[in-house]
Amino acid sequence: MSDLTPLAVLLLAAGGALALACLEQLIAGGSPSPVVVARRAAATVRQPLSRPETYDSWLFHLAPPLLLVAAVTALATVPWAPGFRGIDLETGVLVFGAALAYVTPAVFMAGWGAGRPLAVVGGFRFVAQMLAYAMPLTMAVTAVATPAESLRPIAIVDVQHAVPMLVSQPLAFVLFLPSVMAVAFIAPFDLPQARSELGGGVFSAYTGVQAGMVALAQKVLVLAAAGMTAALFLGGWHGPLLPAAVWMALKTLAVAALMLWTGRRLPRFEVEPLLTFAWKAAIPAAIGAIVWAGLVTLVFYR
Amino acid sequence: MSELSTALVFWPGAVVMLAAGVFVFRTPSMTRAGLLLLVALAVEGLLFLALASQFLGVLQLLMMSAEMTVMVFFMVMYMPDPGGLMGMDMTHQKRTSTSFAVAVGVGLAVLAVVTDWPATTLPADAPDVRAIGFEVMGRSMFTFLFAGVTILFSMVGAVMLGERGGRFDLARPGDERRAEQETEG
Repeated sequence: MSDLTPLAVLLLAAGGALALACLEQLIAGGSPSPVVVARRAAATVRQPLSRPETYDSWLFHLAPPLLLVAAVTALATVPWAPGFRGIDLETGVLVFGAALAYVTPAVFMAGWGAGRPLAVVGGFRFVAQMLAYAMPLTMAVTAVATPAESLRPIAIVDVQHAVPMLVSQPLAFVLFLPSVMAVAFIAPFDLPQARSELGGGVFSAYTGVQAGMVALAQKVLVLAAAGMTAALFLGGWHGPLLPAAVWMALKTLAVAALMLWTGRRLPRFEVEPLLTFAWKAAIPAAIGAIVWAGLVTLVFYR
Repeated sequence: MSELSTALVFWPGAVVMLAAGVFVFRTPSMTRAGLLLLVALAVEGLLFLALASQFLGVLQLLMMSAEMTVMVFFMVMYMPDPGGLMGMDMTHQKRTSTSFAVAVGVGLAVLAVVTDWPATTLPADAPDVRAIGFEVMGRSMFTFLFAGVTILFSMVGAVMLGERGGRFDLARPGDERRAEQETEG
């Protein structure tokens, strides 16, 4: 890690968010234009800040920075290229999970601090959504860490030099992808902000720089989620001919496109069916994925 | 980390942690209380990291966030004045509980200072995750299995009791007559 690493991670967050915004335009059927995205962002940031007259308005002001810090920390744990890593710890994938865990209090604080009924409902909905995605997410991570015998993302990438985890552990992938989409509260898991039923929900009261921070944080979350999916399941930077970083970028973009495309084609999940599905189907399946991971490890990776 | 940098993180962190802990009991708002407790516990996780106990630190940060947010949820649900706006006093037996808490706190602090802690220093790259794995799957396996099964039973029990109507379901019209027929026949 050099002194420039934090700067590189921040640049990656900003550039990646711009790229994702263009990808979103493309998937929506428009022609992608970074200029339009930048102009819209500039217009948002120039708005005056809103100040809710509530008792806990400090929670309202603390929520966007916390959300952004959590997203950037999650982004920093993704192994982008053999020589570039923001946070490289022995417990790397746990740090990824720990960073994502702070999305929950941030969203809750945003809703509660705004003091508007629909925003509070949005915050509560996200807590319920967290109860659905948290266990499948951590258990899928456990499943891919087992063959690598390490929680370090680089070790998990290296163990996939021949066979990506998507092939050896498809069940863990099927559980992981919707879980990280739910963390990033993108459609069909956009329960907390649900434009059509909660009128923007938990973030509806934000304007100006704070609204910009929220939007940026969500893009960074999607980027981190897509990058980690590419690293843990698609073999990360492994691939023929092209340089390592290019492979990683292509895979990340593919996963992000899959996430955004799915979101446009599925209706929003409601709280109760989501929790029922998570606890009656996804979590038992995740236990199965861990058992499968143990078998695969003993038979093929030893 | 050098000893100086550890100390520079540890002592201010410890002060922030204790201050947040005190404010948990000073605020009337359930949301504030829960989130301040999260601040205290997250700083505790950072202290673990500063003390080179990486796994415990990250685990603490990971677990506490979700747990404290869920706790806020429950406190808002069950407390008569969750927002702290009605000026209700939700504490009781103040003198007893304060003196008890102070006595226990002082006792634990004295114990921590007096105890002769083992002074082994591990190298920075000590495989603590692996060591914890062997501990959990080896000597302490019975303890962890027992704790795990106990937690599972309490979860199932709590869900059963929390379900609408409780263990015996809600009363429906005709239940009494059916019960009588069953006892007669």
